[in-house]
Parts: sequence; C-alpha cells; structure tokens
Amino acid sequence: MPETLPHPDLVAALPRLRRYARVLTGDVHRADDLVQDTLARAWEKRRLWQAGSDLRAWLFTIMHNVHVNQFTMRQREYAHASLDADDGPAAGWEIAVRATQSDRVELSEVLAQVGRLPAEQREVLMLAAVEELRYEEISAVLGVPIGTVMSRLSRAREKLRRMTAEPSPTLKVVR
Amino acid sequence: MSANMPLSDEDLHAYADNQLSRERAGEVAATLAREPALAARVAEIRRQNALLRDALDPWLGEPLPRELLSAAAGSAARIRPRWLPAALAVAASLVLGIGLGWFGRSEMLELAGTPVTFQRQAALTHALYAADANRPVEVWANEEERLVRWLSKRLNFPLHAPNLNGLGFALVGGRLVAGNEKPGALFMYENADRQRISLFVRKDGEPSRETAFRYAVEDGVGVFYWIDEDCGYALSGHLDRGQLLAIARVVYGQLAAAEAAAPKR
Repeated sequence: MPETLPHPDLVAALPRLRRYARVLTGDVHRADDLVQDTLARAWEKRRLWQAGSDLRAWLFTIMHNVHVNQFTMRQREYAHASLDADDGPAAGWEIAVRATQSDRVELSEVLAQVGRLPAEQREVLMLAAVEELRYEEISAVLGVPIGTVMSRLSRAREKLRRMTAEPSPTLKVVR
Repeated sequence: MSANMPLSDEDLHAYADNQLSRERAGEVAATLAREPALAARVAEIRRQNALLRDALDPWLGEPLPRELLSAAAGSAARIRPRWLPAALAVAASLVLGIGLGWFGRSEMLELAGTPVTFQRQAALTHALYAADANRPVEVWANEEERLVRWLSKRLNFPLHAPNLNGLGFALVGGRLVAGNEKPGALFMYENADRQRISLFVRKDGEPSRETAFRYAVEDGVGVFYWIDEDCGYALSGHLDRGQLLAIARVVYGQLAAAEAAAPKR
C-alpha cells in the first residue's frame, strides 16, 4: 500500500484532469473546483491506489465519482428551487462560446456539438476518442458494463455525425 | 476464411480507435477493403476523433493555476511532518542562503584549480543569488530576449530560458556566473509563494554520454542535474525531491525540443 502518490505523475496528469473536468462541467471555474476536489479525494484515498497502475485512469475514476455525487446533489437543489429545471443537455455549456484560439470554425462547432450530447455519452466519447483509454478501462472508470460503454460510444458518434451533416439552426445563436 | 466474418458495430469502433489485436485488425481491414460503406463509417469515426483532439488539445498547454498545483503538492506536504511551515522555511532559506553564499564564494576562490563538484557549484550559486531580495539577477525577465542573446554570446553556444509558467514559476531573469574555466549562466524563477529555483548552465565540463538525472542535496539545497554531451544543467531550489524532479523533467523536455528545432551546429 503506497503511503504517498507520485507527485511528478500527479502534476503531469493535471492538464488532462482539467480538460476532462471542463468537458464534464462545461464551465471553466466549476471545472477547476472539480479538479481540486478530485485531488483532495485522491490524497485521502491514496492507500487505495495500487503503485505501478495507471494513475491517470485512477484519477479519472475519482473525478467521475466526485462529479456524479455533486451533480446529484445539485439536481436535488434544482428540484426544490424550480420546476423548469429541464434546460436540456446543453445547459451551462459555455466552453464553445469561449472560442478556441484557432481560426478553424469547425473546431468551435465540434465543441458546441459535444455540449449537446447527454453527459453520459460525452464522458465515454471523451475517454475513448480524446484520452484514448481502452474500452475496459472506460468501463472501470465509469463503473458500467463494457456493453454500456459501447452503446453510449456508438450513440455519441452517430449523433455527432448527424449534427455535422445537417448543421443545427441554433448553432448560429451559440457562436 | 475468418475475413468473411460479419463485422459488428463494436468491431468498427474498436478498429477505428486502434483497440483491436493485430490479428483481428487484419481481418477487419480485409473486410473493409471489400465494403466501402463500412470503410466510410470507420473514416468518419477517425475524422471525428481527429477533430475532437484538434479542438481539445490546445487546452493542455494552458498554464496551471497555483491552487491546483498546491492541491497536487500541498496535500503531499501535509502528510510529511518534516516539512517546515512556509514562513519558517523562507526565513531559514534566507539565513542559510546568505551564509552559504559567502561561504560558497570563499570556498570557490580557495579551491581554484580543484573545482567543487558541478552539483555543489550549482547549489552554492543558487543559494548566493536566490537569497538576494533586490538583485537576484543582472538582467530581468522583461528583457528576456536580450538576456538570452547576451548569455549565449558569453557562453558561446545558443541558450534557452525554459518557460515554467505552466508549473507556476515565472522567469525572474538571469545572470552570468562563474563556471570552472569558462563562464556559466543562471536563470532564476519564482512562484507566487516567492519560492525561487534556478537553472545553472555550464559548458566546460568533461564530455559525457550520460544524460540520466541525478539528485543531490548540498547544504539543504536540492539539486537535479544532468549532463547533455559537454553541457551541464542543474536545477536547484528549496523544494522537495518530487516537486523538483517534476520541474526538471519539464526543463529537460523543453531544452531537448529547442535543440531538436535548432539548426545543426
């Protein structure tokens, strides 16, 4: 049982944790809060990390759980506060608005479209396509069977494909 | 032939994501060659992947906020009782730095001809200048370009000041320092907690094929040092080993990238 976590590896994982958090929350500030909570949790749980195993995947797992817990709590708050909490999946997704530094319009468009995916599909897509985790690892990170991973991935990609094929009218509003 | 096996949806995704065994990937490729519609789906998945990475990879280069760096390291400090409280550490390093500085200077003078080890020289130089609140460097970072040009000229080879903003350390500036027989260069960095680290560069050592990182503690100053051909680099500071190593890796990576990009000399 490790008494400590490898600090250099932790620092090296930070940019990816931050990016994953942004995709989960859709908000730069909430993302950094989530990373901070994840790091605190990781240190609390450091005895559970198996030295030599993939630290990054372990951190993604913690982040997923922290996020799900916080999200569930927030949903309860919303339910108490108002009845029209259903803003659709893109609610609070502000990342695409802060356009990437690139001139490629398609890049900010793809970000906007990722924001329209349901959170569970967005997560799988992110881990498979961008972080290049193996499907078994994704299944472990999210705590769902591999069949669920595959069907979410398939649906995410199909939606993204249709969105690029026929640009949605709301796109203009978002950008 | 197994190549005639029908392809499942999972096969297409796993193939596009490079997750199949070599054998199975070969079978899928053979089928795709005969099925343009399926091949187009794979191409579409790969196009999406590339697009997503192009859109999201630039985020990885953004500087990290200090709160996150301390959340990654601060907890590490908390579980190590041997760490001094920050204020005490700063005070101690000031006293130690000034003491070391003078001691170091006389030692270097006395030992002319019998040079101190590279790592010790780096630690002493760091302690001497990092403790200087007002004049730690000769040329400040606002003239970075001039600084690098000047030091490159004096050391007679192209230098690079690594960018450590992503790790929370900003360049303070640099100065010319005593090497062995030729001059050396010192780049100093500081974080928001006013902790200073410095990169010492010297090119008059013995040529070496060894590029492994080595670590030493010289009078309380941690030093990661490595030799790249005939050029010695040392990163010194009052940080713990893990923090210093993480920074040394970044420095090494940036210098290697700069060298790869430079025209052959």
